[in-house]
Order: sequence, then structure tokens, then C-alpha cells
Amino acid sequence: MNLANYVSNEEDCFILEGIIDAHAEDALKEIPKKVKHPVARFDFSLAGRINSMGIALILRCFKEISDKAEIRIEGLNQTHSMLFKMTGVFLLAAPVKAQGGRKEGTA
Amino acid sequence: MQKIAVLCLDETDRKGWDEAFRGIPHVMIVTAENGLTRALDSIRAIGEDLRVAVISSLLYPYPHPGLVGLLRELNPDLEVLLISREACAPPLKPLLEDRIRHLCIMPVQAGVNEACLPAVIDMLLKQRGWDISCCLKEGTVLHSYRLSSSDEKEDLIAKLEELLDGEGEEMELLRQKGALLADELLENAMYDAPRSGCGDRLFSKGQRRSMLPREDIVFSFGFDGETLSLALTDNWGSLDPDEVLEYLTRNEEETLDCGDPGGRGLFIVWRFLDRFHVAVTPGHSTRVGGNLHLKSTLPPEAPRGFHIMNRCEEVAA
Repeated sequence: MNLANYVSNEEDCFILEGIIDAHAEDALKEIPKKVKHPVARFDFSLAGRINSMGIALILRCFKEISDKAEIRIEGLNQTHSMLFKMTGVFLLAAPVKAQGGRKEGTA
Repeated sequence: MQKIAVLCLDETDRKGWDEAFRGIPHVMIVTAENGLTRALDSIRAIGEDLRVAVISSLLYPYPHPGLVGLLRELNPDLEVLLISREACAPPLKPLLEDRIRHLCIMPVQAGVNEACLPAVIDMLLKQRGWDISCCLKEGTVLHSYRLSSSDEKEDLIAKLEELLDGEGEEMELLRQKGALLADELLENAMYDAPRSGCGDRLFSKGQRRSMLPREDIVFSFGFDGETLSLALTDNWGSLDPDEVLEYLTRNEEETLDCGDPGGRGLFIVWRFLDRFHVAVTPGHSTRVGGNLHLKSTLPPEAPRGFHIMNRCEEVAA
């Protein structure tokens, strides 16, 4: 998995690219240290498959961030949304409202 | 000679299942409309020929939580299959406590999965492991690959995605789900199945590894244009059938566990398939897989059917 990050409008933004599995551990572990603002935004539009190990790493990462920042996620495909719903990721991170008012990830 | 007893709540419930059991031989359908005791008496009359008890979820776990215990008093080796419509799928905990290893959840509208019920009954009567071809149209080509290294995982997933070639939202979703299912099944066989004599994992997730000299991991799949069927067979036989339902129940109850509650991969496989099959011959082989319909209407947050077979007669990979 490749990770890019930048700051925009007082938000820490992270773009996750590629498959999220056991090999994403190092990159995901680094993310909480990079969060300095009250909002952390995650873009999954370039993310590929996320397997159970990837879910465990995302949950661990989000849990750590949730103590200091609000987490918003965007760019989920239908499978990501289903996975996040069934594994509790949405309890830690809110999908960003898409244009038209429908929340992303609520397929 | 009846071998299969079907227990329904009442006549309305019975009528709802009549069509699903049409054509299946040796079936006796009874209702508990005039009391559970009378229904059990009718079943008792079948005697030692009784092999499979099918229970409607309108009857168990509620309002009759002790039903499975009563049935097992008639025959301790009885196979119990719980059948449910998707809107009234049962909670898993009572099933775990009663060690029910077979659950069929049918869509509210007839059609998509109803045809699988005769195959399930046949599987239970013969104590035979699930066969990936059983829910596919006749003549569907089956693809089978024997793994030699973890490096082959992405190539195999790509082969499955190629088979699911096609346009449209449904096909794209099936392709995404198929790729994830393949990933989980392969990871499970490569990293969870290999155990030392004392049960410790031999390899870590994501570790690059070659298969051991006598290790045999086979990934099989087929797609008939509507149904995707896939299975992963390993020759470790290290998955404990009792643990499977425990993993599903635990992950269902503890949605948010930032560690690994154990079995999250199996939980995901279960929830993404229409029906989930596990067949274990301890110390000899484990086969995990199932089928998924292109037009599956089951929502991801809803429970799915499962069949967990122990010490079953094996089918060829």
C-alpha cells in the first residue's frame, strides 16, 4: 500500500493507494503520529482490496487517532462499505457526505 | 421409509416451505400447531431411520429453545438443519450452544437459492463434503490450481477476476467480492492452517513462503454466468469445526475489536458468500468455500447460511 498525506483546511488528509493487507502494517502504524489537526480525512478511492488483516490494521490505526481527532472517510467502493459496516469501522469513522447529501459508504 | 423430518411452526409456515421440499424423497413434514409433544411423537415414529431433522426458524430458537435437545434425545447422531427466510434469520449464540452446524437462509422471494436445498439434504444424508459444482449449471468449467508459493496469490486472484469478466454494477460487485473471498481463503490456508504439533501457527500473515514438501493447497472455482462457486482445500485438517461457529458468533457480537478477535477472515468469507461451507477431516483435510449469486439480495450485515461438516466423506478437489 502507498500512502500520501497533506494538510488542507486544518485537516490532515491521507490517500491510501493499493491493496490493504498485512504488508500495509508499517504505513498504517505511522499515520496516528502524523495527525496534528482535529480532523483526519482518509481517501480510499485509490485503495484496492482490503482483507481481514487490513481491517485489523485500519481499526487499530483509527482507534488510536479517535482519541485526538475526528475521522472522516471518503472514496469507498461498495465492497469497502460492506466490509466497514460489518466489522465496525464506521463506529470509529464517519463517511463524508457526498454531493446531494447521501453519505458515502451507505450503499 | 422416512429419513428426514421437517418441523414447522404451523400450517402457514409449512405452506411456505412446501415448494422447497417438493421432490425430495423420504420427507415427513410436521407442524407444532397442536403442541410440540405431538409433533415429536410423530417424529419418534420414524424410528432409527431418522437421519436429518430440519427445523423452521419460526420454531427455534424461539419459542422452543429446548427443541434441539429433545430431538437429540430421539437420536444423538441426528443431523440438525435450521431453515430460515432472510427476514427472520436466527441469532447465532443459541446455535453455538446447541452445536447446530447447518443453517439455510432463503431469500424472501423464491428462486435464487431454493434449488440448493435438495443438494444440502443429500449432503447431510450421505455425510459427504460439499462439492463446488453442486450449485453450478451442468457443464460449467471448474478451474483448479495447486499452490507452490505465497507469491502465486495475486496471480490466482487475477485469474478469478478474469473469469468474472463483464460489465455492469452487479458484475463489478461480484468481481470485488470474489477477489476478497479468494484472498481470505488463500491467506487462511497459507497462514492459519499450518500448525505445529502443539497447535502453534508455523507462519505469520503476509510472510513470503513456499509450500512444505507434503503440503497440498488447492484453490478451485467455477462461474456459470450467475453463480460463483469457490473452495480452498488444504491437507492440514487443523480447523476445529466447533471453533468455526464460535468465530462467527464472536465476530458478530464484538463488532469492534481493534485487535484480532480470531477468525475475522472466516467471518468475512461467511458474510460475503450466500452460503458458507466448511468440511474438516481432522489432521487430514480442510475445505472452506461456498457460493455467491450474481443477483444476491442478502445484505452484508445479515447472517448467512453455513454448513460445517466434521469427519465427512471427502470429495475430490
